[in-house]
Amino acid sequence: MASIDIESVRKSYGPFPVLHGVDLTIKDGEFIVLVGPSGCGKSTLLRMIAGLEEVTSGEIRISGNRVNDLAPKDRDIAMVFQSYALYPHMSVADNMSYSLRLRKTAKEKIASAVGAAATKLGLDPLLERRPKALSGGQRQRVAMGRAIVRQPKAFLFDEPLSNLDARLREQMRAEIKKLHADLKATSIYVTHDQIEAMTLADRIVAMHGGIVQQVGSPLELYDTPANLFVAGFIGSPGMNFLEGRYVVSAEGDGKGASEGAGIRLSDGTVVPVARRTDIQPDAAVTLGIRPEHVVISDTGMLEASVDLVEPTGFGIILHLSLHGLPFKIFTLDRDALSAGPKVRVDFPRKYLHVFDEKGDRAD
Amino acid sequence: MMHQSMKQNRPPLRKRIADASEPYLYSAPALILIVAVMLVPLVVGISYAFRDIQLLNPFSGGFIGLDHFRALSQDDAFFGALRNTLWWTGASVFFQFTFGLILALLLDKPFYGRGLVQALVFLPWAVPSFLAGLNWAWLFNPVIGPLPHWLYALGLLDEPHNILSDPHLAMWGPIVANVWWGIPFFAITLLAALQAIPRDLYEAASIDGAGPVQRFMSITLPFLAPTIAITVLLRTVWISNFADLIVVMTNGGPADRTQIVASYIFTQAFKRLDFGYASAIALVLLVLLLVYSMLIVLLRQTMLNKG
Repeated sequence: MASIDIESVRKSYGPFPVLHGVDLTIKDGEFIVLVGPSGCGKSTLLRMIAGLEEVTSGEIRISGNRVNDLAPKDRDIAMVFQSYALYPHMSVADNMSYSLRLRKTAKEKIASAVGAAATKLGLDPLLERRPKALSGGQRQRVAMGRAIVRQPKAFLFDEPLSNLDARLREQMRAEIKKLHADLKATSIYVTHDQIEAMTLADRIVAMHGGIVQQVGSPLELYDTPANLFVAGFIGSPGMNFLEGRYVVSAEGDGKGASEGAGIRLSDGTVVPVARRTDIQPDAAVTLGIRPEHVVISDTGMLEASVDLVEPTGFGIILHLSLHGLPFKIFTLDRDALSAGPKVRVDFPRKYLHVFDEKGDRAD
Repeated sequence: MMHQSMKQNRPPLRKRIADASEPYLYSAPALILIVAVMLVPLVVGISYAFRDIQLLNPFSGGFIGLDHFRALSQDDAFFGALRNTLWWTGASVFFQFTFGLILALLLDKPFYGRGLVQALVFLPWAVPSFLAGLNWAWLFNPVIGPLPHWLYALGLLDEPHNILSDPHLAMWGPIVANVWWGIPFFAITLLAALQAIPRDLYEAASIDGAGPVQRFMSITLPFLAPTIAITVLLRTVWISNFADLIVVMTNGGPADRTQIVASYIFTQAFKRLDFGYASAIALVLLVLLLVYSMLIVLLRQTMLNKG
């Protein structure tokens, strides 16, 4: 178990920078998820922590010790790969004990460590099999078993569930969470799947274009996204955005005027918002609201036409167009299935997000 | 569908014959070619082994049973050639494989100009063996070649003489030429096999704590094993049949010290023009190589089953 400190770490391949100065402090026992679209640098960061990529500049410390120049094997970390990377010529037991055998651990100790890990992961009946005789989920389990037998300081996961089908992914997700609750080991988990990020993480690190966009608990990222990228990336279906201008003395709409602040959309409608202190009046802003927070009501202030109705079973997604822009609603109300060609919608004020011209959250 | 049509109305006889013979007619050109080009010479060659066939003797040609094989069992030159063949094949395959593997491992690492180096490395394979033999024979010749002088300067030779005419060293001449000529074969095939190994296995192993040697032993070698088995088998058979370099460089001499079975066959057939006896030797060599091949194939099969 260990803390991990990442201090202004940069990475470039030749002249191409892929990470622009990442700072992150990971506490002992914390489960951190690095999330972002492909190419955002999250895997590179993980591989730098593992020692598989060189650090161009900055410093990585594990338990306070600088590891920049240490070989992967001297960092005392374990990694689970997307492809599992099991040794095909070894049995499951040999795969799991390989690291211990290399460290010349006593035979009895190896047997008990492998046995304990196998029991924990339900691998007991498979120990003598070769990886190719296992299903995807079983291989995934062996890969995790290989990581936990050594009791390393930290676990690194590189998109470990991407090769599994949806049902199995859900199941393994829960198992990883249980395992972490059990072992309380510092873990860093890379994924592009925001559901995995939301469900597993103590803290999520949202990355985009080699820059950390926001670090926070899953609900912080969901409730108060720091910028347009995080707002759009976290949540499914994604947040709706409307362009407008911040107005202080609202006109045209009684409700907005009484509060003194609103956002005037392109058609002149003013959506009332709480006063923001850090934007100038008449500045261009983006208004965001999550599909599940939009309310359909006959007295709604905006009218939208219905393009498409998508029942998901759990709820219904309505694809609308609002001023010609795509706009989504997620609702549990089955009546939405029979929505007419036009609906009126309302935006509850407490669910509105406002982003300034640069895309940063305005409060 | 056939069942249906038979019930409804049987097609005329000619149509049925045409239908039945269709697949044979399609494959006939290939089959006839294979039989004519491969099977016929093989059978004729084998039949020579049991007949007295000497080109210069117009009265030869009769069936003599196992006489050739009886003579062969008394033929010291043949047993000498058999020993030389083992030596020639063993040393050539061993060094070709060792250097080929090292070369493949080096070429597997990315470096600037790798494409060019790869192309250059594979060049010897494109040189005709006859030319390679002539070149190396010249290189070993102290009058025009530098090698004897270098070996002398290094203290490996007492005087800069031609090792091809030294009964104790002569075999090394063709072996060196053969190693130079055959390394690319191993390098190409092993490099292809190396590049098929998933890179993240090495990463996983390095995190698990494996050093370069352990990574090689527990990942590279098991992955290469089937390729190694099949390439070593192929090369062994080829090299033991491969008399070009020896015929060009030493012609079996001095005093038969570099005579291998294949060059002995060549001598018997095309110098003494005794085709019958040459065929008998060839048949023995064929059987030996078949036995060897079966062993390697069995070995490979068990390795694959285990893996």
